[in-house]
Amino acid sequence: MIEKALVVTNKLGIHARPAGMIVDITGQAKSDISIVFEGSKANAKSILNVMMLAIPAGSEVKFEIDGEDEEQVASQLESLFNDHFNEEPC
Amino acid sequence: MGSVFPVTNRKISVVEETLPESRLPDEEQLFLKAVHKTVKEVSQIKELSESRTGMKDSLIFATHLMILQDPTLMNGVLDKIRKERKNARWAVHVVLGAFIDKFEQIDSPAMRDKAADLRDVYNRLMAAMEDSGPVLEDVATEDGVVLAGHELLPSLLMSIKPGQVAGLAMDTGGRTSHVAILARSLQIPLVSGLRNFAALVKAGDTVIVDGSSGQVVINPNQDDIKEFHARQEVFERQRRELFTMRQLEPMTRDGKYITLHANIELPSESEKVTDFGATGIGLYRSEFLFLRSDAPTQDEQRDAYRYILETMYPCPVTIRTLDAGGDKLVSGITAVNESNPFMGWRSIRVCLDREDIFCTQLKALLLANTKENLRLLLPMISGMTELRRAKACIAKCRKELEEKGKKVAKVKIGVMIEVPAAVMIVDKLAKEVDFFSIGTNDLVQFTLAVDRTNELITDMFQPHHPAVLSMIYQTVQAAHREGIPVAVCGEMSADPLSVLLLVGLGVDELSMTPWSVMSTKKIIRSINFEDVRDSALTVLQMDDAESVNAFMLGKYAQTIRDLGISSFVGQVDSSKK
Repeated sequence: MIEKALVVTNKLGIHARPAGMIVDITGQAKSDISIVFEGSKANAKSILNVMMLAIPAGSEVKFEIDGEDEEQVASQLESLFNDHFNEEPC
Repeated sequence: MGSVFPVTNRKISVVEETLPESRLPDEEQLFLKAVHKTVKEVSQIKELSESRTGMKDSLIFATHLMILQDPTLMNGVLDKIRKERKNARWAVHVVLGAFIDKFEQIDSPAMRDKAADLRDVYNRLMAAMEDSGPVLEDVATEDGVVLAGHELLPSLLMSIKPGQVAGLAMDTGGRTSHVAILARSLQIPLVSGLRNFAALVKAGDTVIVDGSSGQVVINPNQDDIKEFHARQEVFERQRRELFTMRQLEPMTRDGKYITLHANIELPSESEKVTDFGATGIGLYRSEFLFLRSDAPTQDEQRDAYRYILETMYPCPVTIRTLDAGGDKLVSGITAVNESNPFMGWRSIRVCLDREDIFCTQLKALLLANTKENLRLLLPMISGMTELRRAKACIAKCRKELEEKGKKVAKVKIGVMIEVPAAVMIVDKLAKEVDFFSIGTNDLVQFTLAVDRTNELITDMFQPHHPAVLSMIYQTVQAAHREGIPVAVCGEMSADPLSVLLLVGLGVDELSMTPWSVMSTKKIIRSINFEDVRDSALTVLQMDDAESVNAFMLGKYAQTIRDLGISSFVGQVDSSKK
């Protein structure tokens, strides 16, 4: 299992679009993936769960990725966060 | 002509049932089929919206698709059915309902707005699980259907496929409501303000919708149908004849050139406006990009605007900044329950309060303007402070883009003249802008204090009221003193008698639905500027709209009839029955 900590760097935080982009990656992965924010842990393959965390800009989130493609998923998520979800950075 | 397809915005009621084991597989299937069907439906709307708006991806529909296939939702509903033996509709109601409640409590306005997306998904799923007969997406008839309802929403019109709908009939709304404007640009006949039509017809009734006369015939007999086909033939013939006008100059017999532009609602329309003989776009209403559950991004907007600007180059394109509010509600931006929405928090007022939305749009516009043919139009300006604040926003956006190393071309800035206050200070406005565009629909509504969507007072909506004509004349005078042009982009610029008055009052440009450009050109080519100017100055002195219409009809009805365009652009008598 990999634990990957990432910082939300777009201005608007994880609203519907970024949540969709995350689920685009996690939904296709074979691994089990959870997202942890401020002590709440949720299924990262569920857009409803990810959106409901209402993660604001500047927060740190942690992904727990467990499965055969965990390395690949971690690096995909990392570049998505580094690109500020293709939005304006904060 | 087509068979009636009733459109209702019905309320959904859900009953809780606990079922015997044997029925659970059926309920499971009902739910899974509903998901499947809804996914198909939303995918189609997504594709359609992408081709209509010219935007590369409609992420919002992608979000809807993800919500529909969300594992937490799926498992939650299936558990409710399998373990608690509940009916499928109740299971969806409880599981998705709980999510909606939670979203509404989140302490972030942007996320609370997402509850609207969930409700949309909820409604679609519920409708898919109901035995409510056919849905519009499945309708396929040769002649198309007539959509009949108390109120038809712009979003419904956006989802219509070409050839699917033969006509629209609704109880509410007037000629100038937004649905009417959209229907015209989609070239679907519409009759509105029918008061209780929706209750009189049932699904499958045959109905003739005659958009040019404003008549609706329910279950027509053989004679009615014959007459309808005859009228349709005349209409088609005149339409073909008008195409011969395409290459000719819009110039009066004594050599006064009137610029004719087209109004468009959808970026894809820009491809065909020059075919109709328009030499530019006089009004692109950007709010149609916003008719979805979250605002389009800067990149999405830039792509849509650039598409129009590049398609039209070298012709000028006037793009109006977001004019939300009034009868154009934009979810997540405008409030729903204003007691007086036309005079409420709308248009430029919203933009100046929500600089995030405004600046995103301004930057998209500045970046799209690579060929320098953009004319940026600010709506609902009622004072100098508003104009200066808006111009300051534009300057700020330009500076921010330039600091990032982007090249930003020059842009012409104009204001809509649609609030009487703007006319009273029009001298001052003229000194600080590059052009005026008179929005006659709102100017008439505000000058005469007549709500243009209220079907009880459509008779009082009089564009030829001397008060309105005088407003237009003052605007033209002030503009010409400063050497800037005046355009008229409301519905008036397509009405034959109004065209004569507007040209006579000195208006430089007329912008109208693409279909009306050729008939307007035909009118302009048949008149003398000096003559219509004298007529305009005469009617300015008259007491009321009735006298103005009587005078103009007496003088020009025959001319207009001789041109053979009356039935194409509606009744010659423009005093709106």
